[in-house]
Amino acid sequence: MREAVTASTVWRRGGSRRLFTFRLRRLAAADSFLIGAGIIIAFIIACALVPSLIAPYSPTAMLTDSIMQAPSSAHLFGTDYFGRDIFSVVVYGSRDSLFIGFASVIVGGLAGGAIGAIAGYAGGWVDSLLMRCNDILMTIPGILLALAIAGALGKGLFNIVLAVAVSSIPGYARIMRAQIISIKGRTFIAASRSVGATPFHIFWKHVLPNALSPLLVMAAIGVGTAILTGSGLSFLGLGVLREIPDWGTLLSQGRGYLTVAWWICTFPGLAITLFVLAVNIIGDRMRDRLDPKKNAKG
Amino acid sequence: MSRRKPFIQSAAVLLVLALVLAACGSNKDKEPSAADPAQSANTTNTESASTSTAVQGGELTYALATSPDSLDPHRSGLAVAVRVIRTIYDSLVVQLPDNTIKPWLATSWTVSDDGKSYTFKLRQDVKFQDGTPFNAEAVKYSYDRILDPATKAANAVALIAPYESSEIIDDYTIKLNLSTPSRAFLGNLSQALLGIVSPTAAKKYGDQFGLNPVGSGPFKFVKWNQNADIEVERNPDYNWAPETVDNKGTPYLDGITFKIIPEEATRIGSVQSGQVLAAETVPPQNIVALKDDKKIQLLGANTVGLPYTLFFNEERPPWNDAKARQAVQLAVDVDSIVKTLYLGTYERAWSPLSPGTFGYDSSLENGVKPDLEKANALLDELGWVKGADGIREKDGKKLTIHYVDGTPNREKRNDIAVIIQQQLKAVGISVEVEITKDVRTVVNTNGAYDIYGNSQVNSDPNALYAFYHTPAPNGKKTLSRLSDPAIDKLLEQGLVEKDDAKRADIYKQIQHYLIDQAVILPIYVFPYTVAADRSVQGIVFDTLGYPIFNSASIKK
Amino acid sequence: MAGVLARRLFSSVLVIVGSLILVFAILYVLPGDPTDTIVDPSIATPEMVANLRHQLGVDQPFYIQFARYFSHMLRGDFGQSLMNSESVLGKILDSFPATLALTAASSFVAVTVGLVLGVLSAIHRNRPIDLIARVVGLFGISMPTFWSGILLIVLLSLKLGWFPAMGSDGWRTLVLPAIALGLVGAGFIVRMVRSSMLDIIDEHFILTLRSKGLTERAVMYKHALRNALIPAITMIGMLVGEMLAGTVVIETVFSRQGIGRIIADALMAKDLPVVQGVIFFSAFVYVIVNTLVDLSYTFIDPRVRRST
Repeated sequence: MREAVTASTVWRRGGSRRLFTFRLRRLAAADSFLIGAGIIIAFIIACALVPSLIAPYSPTAMLTDSIMQAPSSAHLFGTDYFGRDIFSVVVYGSRDSLFIGFASVIVGGLAGGAIGAIAGYAGGWVDSLLMRCNDILMTIPGILLALAIAGALGKGLFNIVLAVAVSSIPGYARIMRAQIISIKGRTFIAASRSVGATPFHIFWKHVLPNALSPLLVMAAIGVGTAILTGSGLSFLGLGVLREIPDWGTLLSQGRGYLTVAWWICTFPGLAITLFVLAVNIIGDRMRDRLDPKKNAKG
Repeated sequence: MSRRKPFIQSAAVLLVLALVLAACGSNKDKEPSAADPAQSANTTNTESASTSTAVQGGELTYALATSPDSLDPHRSGLAVAVRVIRTIYDSLVVQLPDNTIKPWLATSWTVSDDGKSYTFKLRQDVKFQDGTPFNAEAVKYSYDRILDPATKAANAVALIAPYESSEIIDDYTIKLNLSTPSRAFLGNLSQALLGIVSPTAAKKYGDQFGLNPVGSGPFKFVKWNQNADIEVERNPDYNWAPETVDNKGTPYLDGITFKIIPEEATRIGSVQSGQVLAAETVPPQNIVALKDDKKIQLLGANTVGLPYTLFFNEERPPWNDAKARQAVQLAVDVDSIVKTLYLGTYERAWSPLSPGTFGYDSSLENGVKPDLEKANALLDELGWVKGADGIREKDGKKLTIHYVDGTPNREKRNDIAVIIQQQLKAVGISVEVEITKDVRTVVNTNGAYDIYGNSQVNSDPNALYAFYHTPAPNGKKTLSRLSDPAIDKLLEQGLVEKDDAKRADIYKQIQHYLIDQAVILPIYVFPYTVAADRSVQGIVFDTLGYPIFNSASIKK
Repeated sequence: MAGVLARRLFSSVLVIVGSLILVFAILYVLPGDPTDTIVDPSIATPEMVANLRHQLGVDQPFYIQFARYFSHMLRGDFGQSLMNSESVLGKILDSFPATLALTAASSFVAVTVGLVLGVLSAIHRNRPIDLIARVVGLFGISMPTFWSGILLIVLLSLKLGWFPAMGSDGWRTLVLPAIALGLVGAGFIVRMVRSSMLDIIDEHFILTLRSKGLTERAVMYKHALRNALIPAITMIGMLVGEMLAGTVVIETVFSRQGIGRIIADALMAKDLPVVQGVIFFSAFVYVIVNTLVDLSYTFIDPRVRRST
C-alpha cells in the first residue's frame, strides 16, 4: 500500500537518513528562493548607491519627441509621458524608495521597540499606561494615521518617513513587549538576579539581546510594508514630488495610463513588488533561523 | 531533482510576470499617436446634436469625477456639484455662446441709468418641483438667502456681489438693487450657483436643504447615496427651458443617475464596459485612445473665463522685474508642455482670458515664442552669471523660482511643474517645486511663492479684477500681487463701461499689458470632456461648459 | 470575573476617549481649514471666510470645539458634517454595510485562497504546485493594493467583461475589490498554514501516528491540517483589522460606498465631526473585538488572566 501512493513526498518513506536528506533538500529549495531574493535586493541597493553606472539615461532628461514609447532595445522599459527613460527613472527612484523603506523602519522600530521594551520590562502601571497609549494608536488604521500625519506635516520625504514610521510603532511595541515578558520569566533571568545583578544590567545583557530577534524579523519585513504604505500615500495624493520621483509616486502617477501605455506604471509597480517580495523572503528565512517555533505574530 | 528546482521557481516567477504583463499589454494596437494637435476633443462638440426625433424614456447613467459637496446652489463650492445643480435649478437669465444674455425665468428686464438697479419681469407659468409657485417673492428670497450668514453660502456670495437688496414691485416684477454698477452682474445671474430655490422647501429643510434640493429645473431630485450616486427624475411639468435648449418641454429622459467614480481608470472603464452610459473628465491619453472606439463618442466644450495661468508673485524679487519674468516667458516652451502632457487634446492658452470670453484678444495668439538665446541674454544683462552647477548666481544668491502647486495632481498640473523645472534648468534657473495641500496658507495668506497656477470658469472678463487689481488696504491679496494704477483704472472702467465695443477694447489693453510685461504665463484652456456610449444623444454644454440634459435621449 | 470585566470596560472607555483626543490633536495641527473645501480660495474674500468660519463654529479655539463636540457626543449626538450639514451618524450607518460586506467578502477570499494554497503547498512540498502557491502568496503580500485593483479592473472588467468595474450594489460588484483586498490576507495565510503544517508534519508525533498504522490521508488531514488551522484562524482575526484599513484605498479604486472613503475625504477636508465620528466608530469596533478575544483567552487559559 505504501508503494501504491509512492514517492510523492519524501517524508513518507521515513527513516532518519531519509529525513536528513529531505531536510537538506528543503534547505536547498528554500535557499534558491533566498538567493533570488538576495540578488534582487543587491541589485536594487546597487541602483540606489551608484545609479549613474546602471541607468543609460539621465532620469530627468525629457525626450519630448518620443513620449510613451513601448519598451525597446533603446528604452528597456519604454518611455513615460514626459519622454523620460523609465528604466533610468526607476533606477534612480530606488534611492528615495529605499530611503522611505529603511528610514521609517529604523525610526518606527526604535520607537516601537523602546516603548515595548520599557512596558514589558517595567510592568505594572508603566506597562498599563504605555499599552493603553499603544491601543489608542492601534484603533486608528495605519494608513489613516499615516495620511493624517503626512497631511499635518506637509509634503516632503522626511515627513513621509515620519508618517509611515509612526503608523508602524504599535506593531513593534506589541511584539517587543510580548517577547520581553516571555524572557523575563525564564530561569536564567531569575538566576542572574539571584547573583545580584542590577535590573538595568539584566535588561541590557540578558533580556534585550534575547528579545531582539523577532523585532529584527519584523523590521526586515517592515521595510517592504513601509514602501507599500508610502505608495498608498502617493495614491491618496499625499506622496512626495521630487525631481526624481520614488517608485510609489511613479506608480501612482502612471496608473491612469495603464490602458494606453501599460509600461509606464507596470515597471515601477514591479520594482516595488519584487523588492517587497525579496524582503519578505529574507524576513521569513530569518524567522525560520532565529526562532523555528515562532507562532503567529502579534 | 533538487537541481531542477531553481529552474521551476524562476519559471513560476516568469509565469506570474507574464500574466501581469498580459493583463496590461493586450491592446498595444491602441497605442496613442503621440501629440497630434489636429486630433482635438473639441471637434466632436456638435456630433451629438442629433436631428432625428429623440427617443422618449430611458435612464442616463453619468459618471462624475468627484463627489458633490452640497446640492444647495448657494452653499456649494465645487464645480462637480454644479453639473447636478444645473439639472435641478433654473436661473433668471441664460448666457449664449456669443456672451449675450437672454430670458429664462425672467422674460425681460431693464437697467437703470446709473447701472445700479435691474428690474425683471418674470414668467408667470413656472412652479417649483414641490408645487410652490415661482414669483418675485421666490427671487427675493433666493438672493437674500445668499447674503444671510446663516445660510453658510460659499461661492455664491462672491458671484452675487454687488447685490444689495430686492424690491417686489408686483407678483411678477422685481427690482434688484446693487451697491455699485457691475457689467458682470447679469452674466453672473445666469450661473447655476445663483439659481432660484423653492422658498417653501428651503425654509422647511433649513440646513438640510443641500440634501433635499428643490428648484424649478428640468429634473427633480430623488435620492443621494453618499459617495455612490445621485438620482434625479424628469420634471413632468417642465415647460420653460431657455433658448439655448432645443427641447423646451419636459426632458426626454426618465431620469439621470450621477455615479461618483473618482478613479480615472475605473471611470473610463465603466463606460467602455457599459456599466455607465457617460463619464466626465476624460484624461487626454484616453481621449486619444477612445477616438477609434466604435462604441464610444467623445463630447466636450472648452470652458471660458481664465485659462490655467501661472502667476508670478510681483512682490518677490527678482521676479518683480519684468525683464526677469520675460526671460522665463522666453525659456518656457508652453507648446511643448501642452503637447506632451495633453497630447493635443487641450488648446494652448495665449491670453489671460480664454477664447470665447467677452473681449478675448485673438491677436495675442502665436505672439510669444520660446527663444533660449534671448532668455539667456536678458538674464546676463541683469547680472545673473552661471555658476559651476549651471545655475545662475548674483551676489552669492542662486537664481531660483519657488513654484507652488496644490494637490492632487489635477489636470496634470504637478506635471507641468516638473517639465518647467527641466526647461528652466537650461537657462540656469533652478525651480523648487512645492506641492501643498494647504494652498490658502502658503499662497493666499503667506504669499510664499514665485509662481502659482490657477484657473477660473467665469462668464465675464471682469474675472480679471480679482486677479490683477490692487487690493483694498485690508482686502484679499491677488494671486499676481500686481499693483499698477493704469491697470487698476482699466479694470474699473471695464466693470462699468456700457458700450460693448469700448468695453472689449479696455480688456484687450489689459490682456496685452499682462502678456507684454510677462505678469503671467497662460498655459492651457481646460476642455470639459465626456466619453459617452454612441446610443446617448443630445447632451449639449452651456456657455460655461456644464452639461445640459434637457434634450438628451438614449437611442434604443 | 466581574472585576476583570469592569477593569476591561474602564480601560476600553479610556482607549476610545484617547483615540478621539489623538485625532483631535492631529486635526489641530493639520494645515488648512474646512472653509478651503467649502469655498474656492481664489474668490473668497476675508469677510466671506470669516463669516463662514463663524457660522460653522470653527473660529473658536479648538479645545472649545472639542469640548462641545464631546459633550454632544455623550448625549448621543454625533453632529453634522461641516460640508453639507449631513448627520454624521446617518452617514456612517449608511456606509457601514458596504464596508462590512467588503471586509467579509475579502476575508472569505483570504481564507479560502490562503487555506487551499497553503495546504496544497505543504502537501506538495517543493514541487511546482508548492512553488506556484508560494509565489502567488508572496505577490499578494507584495503588490500595492491600488495597483492590483486597477490591474483586476483592466483585465477582468475591461478586457473580459466578467465583472463590473465599480459600484457597491449587488454581489457582482463585490468580486473584484474582494479579490484585490483578499489576496493580501491570502498571502499571509498561505505562509502561515504552510509553515505550521510542515512543522507538524515534521514532528515526531506524526511519525508515531503513522507507525500506529494510520493512513497517509488520515494523518495529513486529521492531524496536520487541524493543528495548522489554529494559528491560521488566529491570523484571520488580526487580518480583519488590516482589511478595514485596506478599504480606505480599495473603496476609492472601485468607487464603492464605505467608511474608508468617508474618512479619507473628511480628513483631507478637516471635517472634524465626520472624522471624529468614524474614529469613534472604528475604535469602538476595535475595542469590542479585542475585549472579546482577550476574554475568550481568559476563559480558555486561566494563566493569562493576570497579564492583560
